[in-house]
Amino acid sequence: MDREPIVQVKNIGMSFGATRALDNVDFNFYPGELLALVGANGAGKSTLIKIICGYHSGYEGRIIVANREVDLNSPKEAYDFGIQTVHQIINQGVIQSMTVAENLALEEMLSPDQPVVYNYPAIRRRAGEIANLMDLNYLDLDVPVFTIPQSDRQMICIARALASDPKLLILDEPTSSISDKEADRLFTKLLKLRDSGVSIVYVSHRLHEITRLADRVGVLRDGKVAGELVKPFSVQNIVHSMVGDIEQNPVRKKDSKINKSVVKLELQDLVFQEGKPPLNLKLYEGEVIGLTGLIGAGKSELAAVLFGADKPFSGRMFVNGEFYEPSCIRAAIDNGIFMVPEDRNNNAVFPEFNILQNINIPFLGMFTNSISVLSKRKERKEAARMIKAMTVKCESEESPVLSLSGGNQQKVIVARWLMVESNLVILDEPFQGVDVKSRREIGQYLRDNIGKSTAIVIATDLDEVIDISDRIVVFNHGVMVGEQEAGSIDKERLIQLTSGTLEEILN
Amino acid sequence: MKKFNITDFSIRWGFLIVMGVLFTVFSLLQPAFLSAGNLFNILLSVCIFGTMALGETFVLITDGMDLSIGSTAALSVMISAYLMVVLEWGGFATILMVLFIGVVVGLFIGFLIVKVKIPDLLATLGMMFLVQGLQYIPSGGLSIGRGAVIKNGREAMGQFSEGFKYLGQGRILKVIPVPVLIMIGVAIIVYVILSKTKFGRIFYAIGGNPEAARLVGVNVNKYKVIAYVSSSFIASLAGILLAARVGRGDVGSQGTLLMDAIGAALIGFAVLGARKPNPFGTIIGAIFIGMLMNGLTMLSMQYFWQDFIKGSVLVAALAFTFGISKKHG
Repeated sequence: MDREPIVQVKNIGMSFGATRALDNVDFNFYPGELLALVGANGAGKSTLIKIICGYHSGYEGRIIVANREVDLNSPKEAYDFGIQTVHQIINQGVIQSMTVAENLALEEMLSPDQPVVYNYPAIRRRAGEIANLMDLNYLDLDVPVFTIPQSDRQMICIARALASDPKLLILDEPTSSISDKEADRLFTKLLKLRDSGVSIVYVSHRLHEITRLADRVGVLRDGKVAGELVKPFSVQNIVHSMVGDIEQNPVRKKDSKINKSVVKLELQDLVFQEGKPPLNLKLYEGEVIGLTGLIGAGKSELAAVLFGADKPFSGRMFVNGEFYEPSCIRAAIDNGIFMVPEDRNNNAVFPEFNILQNINIPFLGMFTNSISVLSKRKERKEAARMIKAMTVKCESEESPVLSLSGGNQQKVIVARWLMVESNLVILDEPFQGVDVKSRREIGQYLRDNIGKSTAIVIATDLDEVIDISDRIVVFNHGVMVGEQEAGSIDKERLIQLTSGTLEEILN
Repeated sequence: MKKFNITDFSIRWGFLIVMGVLFTVFSLLQPAFLSAGNLFNILLSVCIFGTMALGETFVLITDGMDLSIGSTAALSVMISAYLMVVLEWGGFATILMVLFIGVVVGLFIGFLIVKVKIPDLLATLGMMFLVQGLQYIPSGGLSIGRGAVIKNGREAMGQFSEGFKYLGQGRILKVIPVPVLIMIGVAIIVYVILSKTKFGRIFYAIGGNPEAARLVGVNVNKYKVIAYVSSSFIASLAGILLAARVGRGDVGSQGTLLMDAIGAALIGFAVLGARKPNPFGTIIGAIFIGMLMNGLTMLSMQYFWQDFIKGSVLVAALAFTFGISKKHG
């Protein structure tokens, strides 16, 4: 190609502690081209984007913008070079309490050139122009953003990014929370923008979008560039370069512990998301199910219903053959349905508690006498047993939980729910931010101690579910689109099931 | 055991050492400070707000703040007086009624926070004004004592029962003040609940990470309401002690009770390096404030210095707790 790249990254590397997130990554971003960036979770896509948009400083390597080497230390600097980013977490991009107009024209509103007296009509006029860029005229400009749906908030962020005339526009999973119709509108705009000479970097797990939009596909695997594909590409060959040639179909023996004569959990015509088809599923004694699918596929929504945090729309659930209808989380726990929630720091760890207190919290009743006074001796004994069983590395059971590494903290949280016998343990993304060794140990312990219970391990990362499951169930847009048994796993097919459109898969 | 570390040591023992040193200095400079009578005076001076601070501790632990306790205590004073002096109720029935009203105030605050979803600081600030205003209404804004003329021109003929007054003025063995014993009793009960039972563990869990608490099956809203009810209930008990000590219903008796109580509970963060609300620290914090005021008064400190010194102690204790320990922890 004889065109000049608008932005080049050369030999980019980045480490977080002992983890090498990116290693020697090179990419050129050309004007008038849409480059799709793909890779499994943890492949380094987000890290690379965050470096280019100035969020991560302290990277290795060079960034060259318009033939000039630059040092990006803050989002503001990247922005001044014409690099605009729409991040995956939408709510970080909007100010909830402000109106749609103020959010659209945020840049103008916060600019130092604004008159001292706030001129809302002017802001509103400008917001109208920006809304036009994405055909958002249907939005009421004067309502606060927290009253409008996620998808509209996402569109606001995109419109705002377009309004600043970016040279390089980065979109991180822009379609994960918008409807297909809105996605179509977005794609039309993006292609138009590309044709006008903007360079676009598009990150998505949805491979069919990529085959439709991209001029070039960059593949990241384990922090390295695993290849660049040019047109024509198919979902098939993208998947192939994401997975690589090695360890195509990891073989894991099917466990003999499964007792198919005992159904622990049965879902009958369960509708757990509005307007989605009913789900029928049986989980057997001693079985570990891996539940996978992209963000928004409905995995966590199912978990919330099983754990009593949400009510199903219709259908029935049975635990050990008995009708199960939890009125609240406590009721689920009393029925032996436990859950290790996603996002350990926000949803599971009690930062001021020590290890023992973190483990024992759901079942304090086990340690009390008749007037609810806790027995330190009983508490220590149980906690020490779990710490040993799960190989938590710590000084004592009364060390602060925050003194542990991420992997060991996760072991503590898992130990919390494996301490007593259960009917079902749900682990929602249990391996996020967990090192490989801890991941293996947690998985091994779960498999060894599943006993008469059953487990659902939710993970977006295919390697994680393949590692641990007897059976893998794939969700896509709220629909169960397939299952595979350990021993006959077809990873490429799994990627197609998670990333394809429903029409492609079901027909 | 880890080897000796001066920062760890001062975080843990620093506050108690300062307190001990102050105690020694006061005793040396003013021998009368050390007399049994004076020591009980100190405890007597702290027992009202000290008791209230123990209730506030429940709320602080759940990461809330109750600004209404001063008003609730003052309301209890007025209601006690109104019931006994105007309506001529007996002491026992009065106590039950006042405590009941305390529970109702707490339930209402809990309702505002949990159901109406007003942020706790704002809800209790609003309730502070509301309850403070409420105390004036039964008596038409006047203080209530025997012989006071109430609204319709009738003289109030009732009086505080002796048993009721004993709660505020009595002394066991002619030395130990009854309200001090009540404060110590409340302190022990609160200590056991918060530090030894599963309920205390759950309160701390809610304060540490409410979402995680919900996901281990805790009914967070229920416990929050319980915390506010405990706080209001104990504040109304403190109001009873105050009414019993004064023997009449003075309007505006909340005075500096709220700030002293919250101050004591916050100073308690520094005791034994707890860095969080805790009943033992709260009671030590209250006694520390009382000791300091008493000692300085004996050394002829002028009254207008009081608030300044209390504030300085509070800021210093908080700086110590969050400044040093945080960096270290």
